[in-house]
Amino acid sequence: MRPIETEIVVLGGGVGGYSAAFYAADKGKKVVLVEQDDRLGGVCMNRGCIPSKAFLHATKLLKEADDSSARGITFGKPSINLDEMRAWKETIVQKLADGLAGLAKNRKVEVIRGRGYFEDSTTLRVETSDGQKFVHFNKAIVAVGSKPALPKAFDLGNKRIMTSDEALEIEEIPANLLVVGGGYIGMELGTVYAILGSKITMVEALDSLLLGADADLVRPVKRRAEKLFAEIRLGTKVGKMATSGKHIKVTMEVKGKEKEELFDRVLVSVGRTPLTNDLGLENTKVRKNDNGFIVVNPQQQTDDPVIYAVGDVVGGALLAHKAAREARIAVDVITGETNSFDSIIVPAVVFTDPEVAWCGITEAEAKERELPVEIVRFPWSASGRALSFDRTDGMTKLVIDPVTERVLGVGIVGAGAGDLISEGVLAIEMGATAEDLAESIHPHPTLSETMMEAAEAFYGYSTHIYAPKKKEQVEG
Amino acid sequence: MEIRLPRLGEGANSGVVAGILVKEGEKVRKDQTILELESDKAVAAIPVPEAGTVAKISVKEGDEIKVGDLILTLKADGGKQEIASSQPPTQEVPQPTMSAQRGKEQPSRSPVPQIEGIPLAAAPSLRKIARELGIDLTRVRGSERGGRIVLADVRQYLAELQKGALAPPPPTSSVATVSPPDHVDFSKWGSVRRKKITSIRKTIAQRMSSSWNVVPHVTQFEDADITDLLALRKAHSAAYEKKGGRLTLTPLIIKALVRSLQQHQMFNASLDEGSGEIIYKDYYHIGIAVDTEQGLLVPVLRDADKKSVLDISLELEDLAGRARDRKIAIDEMQGGTFTISNQGGIGGAHFTPIVNKPEVAILGLGRGALRAVVRNKKIEQRVILPLGLSYDHRIIDGADAARFITTLVQAIESFDEKELALAGRGSKKKPAKKGKK
Ligand SMILES: Cc1cc2nc3c(=O)[nH]c(=O)nc-3n(C[C@H](O)[C@H](O)[C@H](O)COP(=O)(O)OP(=O)(O)OC[C@H]3O[C@@H](n4cnc5c(N)ncnc54)[C@H](O)[C@@H]3O)c2cc1C
Repeated sequence: MRPIETEIVVLGGGVGGYSAAFYAADKGKKVVLVEQDDRLGGVCMNRGCIPSKAFLHATKLLKEADDSSARGITFGKPSINLDEMRAWKETIVQKLADGLAGLAKNRKVEVIRGRGYFEDSTTLRVETSDGQKFVHFNKAIVAVGSKPALPKAFDLGNKRIMTSDEALEIEEIPANLLVVGGGYIGMELGTVYAILGSKITMVEALDSLLLGADADLVRPVKRRAEKLFAEIRLGTKVGKMATSGKHIKVTMEVKGKEKEELFDRVLVSVGRTPLTNDLGLENTKVRKNDNGFIVVNPQQQTDDPVIYAVGDVVGGALLAHKAAREARIAVDVITGETNSFDSIIVPAVVFTDPEVAWCGITEAEAKERELPVEIVRFPWSASGRALSFDRTDGMTKLVIDPVTERVLGVGIVGAGAGDLISEGVLAIEMGATAEDLAESIHPHPTLSETMMEAAEAFYGYSTHIYAPKKKEQVEG
Repeated sequence: MEIRLPRLGEGANSGVVAGILVKEGEKVRKDQTILELESDKAVAAIPVPEAGTVAKISVKEGDEIKVGDLILTLKADGGKQEIASSQPPTQEVPQPTMSAQRGKEQPSRSPVPQIEGIPLAAAPSLRKIARELGIDLTRVRGSERGGRIVLADVRQYLAELQKGALAPPPPTSSVATVSPPDHVDFSKWGSVRRKKITSIRKTIAQRMSSSWNVVPHVTQFEDADITDLLALRKAHSAAYEKKGGRLTLTPLIIKALVRSLQQHQMFNASLDEGSGEIIYKDYYHIGIAVDTEQGLLVPVLRDADKKSVLDISLELEDLAGRARDRKIAIDEMQGGTFTISNQGGIGGAHFTPIVNKPEVAILGLGRGALRAVVRNKKIEQRVILPLGLSYDHRIIDGADAARFITTLVQAIESFDEKELALAGRGSKKKPAKKGKK
């Protein structure tokens, strides 16, 4: 069979892959997109951002209903139909998948269903349901993404030990669920299961949850999780797991003592591993680092002159919006434009309750790097909007360069923080000063006012908090 | 882990290490700049692809390195890649030392230090423009609050760069050669008169010092025996007079000169310093230095190669006359490819004329005089014309000049009588207006 000739082949149809394929097609390139799953969309759409957010939305409703008794509204005991809930999630994902398939078709991107393997730097072999296909390409973009890491010691082949992939299928609501790993995936899915009725034990090896976020942003999340979860054990390592009838027997070290406990299910969320094995990369010049991530330069070029890589597979922040941006850079560079992933602000959002979001320089980072910065905080207890829906457990924080008054970082904890953070990204990308934020009218009553008031606090004149003469202290 | 020089982009495979920005034992973040590499295109910042601790640096400043060469070895800091971006521990970022680009004066750097991981204070759209133009924004001074760079700042920076690139090494402006450098009170030694210099004089001063400062001058001397040429002139001058022309030496020399220029086109060329190219011209427009009351003027006689001696003599008279009456237009003094300065009518022998930039050579004629010359083993009386050929030694070598002047002398000494045939229009007036609207 004759090989398929194309200018660009994209391997992997996740956010990184389809963004690259669509953009390249929009720029007039002939593109072939290879995806092993039936559906495009990758982790984010099928077993990541979208399903997790769908379930978080559904469970938030439960929680709000529960909380509203204090406002004089009481509901009957809710009944949960897991089959219907799964089907609902499935329709969302299917709608998105159909949308992507249509977009690919309109752009004349040829989608090949099958597993891709590099024969060399010019040919990709694809194993499809109707045999092998070969794709000859000028340039390739690798966007094969990542999968949940499952340490050998936990990999018993027992379906009661889940990763996020299985957890998002919600086969059942276990009475006792152990969540190993207090990163954002563990926190988000732990929240979902807790509200659905599981008794959650969360174990984290480090001394804090949500690594990377400032401690003051994590505090309200932790406080709420402590109520929602049965227990949170920090600085605790899980040693072994073993099957024990319908349970999993877990050994962990708690305060220097070994402890054995039984759980109905375990969710392992300890990180993700790049899918770089069995790709034929050894037949190209592509180089991987010690953790298996593909090494690229800021132009997304690998060590192989014709192969680029984007998304989770190149490491860094494993986030969908980072993958999408890298996809643009790779295509721009391939089409001869200058572009580079250079000092680009990647916002991080955790969809816990309350949400946490940050971008730019964090307070902890500034301290560590001994950067001279001024921190201003605006507590949401001073926000009318936050009061109006009983969620004053929020805070907006600005990290400001005291000399130039430039906004270097923004951190937000509170309901809707994920949507509010974009203003911070824009401010940093535009080189805005605190005064620029303070001088821009923010509509009332909204949570966005907290950005403006935090900036005002820097100059010592925030209306709703009393923070006198901050600025003069800095100069003095 | 070994860090090697990555591919730098189209056509750039090597460079010289202009600066090393890390020390052994230093912790580096992913993408931190470790090295500045100077290639013939630009100075590139080389980042580390991964975080870690610098174990050993294998290059030193000044080393020429190629793609794939080992720069340093990095000890990984270990630990699994976490999902949320955890910042590895870092140290104070060393400010990259900006090496001046190929000796050229660079406009001053932004006073606002750049913070690693945070974009420069400029809108993403502006950073994109800068990337496309290859401008290093860290060198641009931001005028907005907080040191924010806006488009106007980039424009200003480009203008500064352009000024730097176009200015010839020594400053050439000002009438430094005319006005005394220091204020000297000459009246101390006797009575003096002061008179403002004319604008023509100012222009002359400027152009002469500019040429003198920029063009490395060499003057090639030679003598031409014009006894035979004068005989030809004498034989034909009556016929020319009838046609209204005055057959002087200059049109004859112009004719001989153009024939020589056709054989040595470099002397009819110009140097484009900006692009580094020599521009050869297919036309021969000869500038004639004319002594006027206000000072030196150089009207240009166009297409001398296509004109008869009669036409040239007619036009020459017209041009010189109008130049003296200051009735010559600016554009009639532009576009010359070679200039002749004839002092023969006044006196003097060899002299060293200054090249009329952007031309590359000039011929100075002294006064032809009777000399005792050895010819055919006998001493004879001949009329000898002193020639001085000054040229731009940047693009013309001494041997070229010797060859050119030999050709020229030959063209003068064995002037082809056929050139004197009155084939031209022989009309009365205004040939100089030709080609003008
Ligand atoms: C539970 C969970 C929640 C998340 N929530 C968020 C969030 O809220 N916000 C956010 O920004 N990010 C979130 N993420 C992360 C996000 O999903 C990833 O960053 C994103 O999916 C990365 O996109 P990608 O294109 O690099 O790779 P992927 O999405 O992993 O896509 C890779 C694709 O390549 C295909 N593939 C792999 N190998 C081959 C092969 N050999 N041949 C053919 N096809 C192949 C795979 O089938 C897959 O479809 C979440 C992740 C998880 C697990």
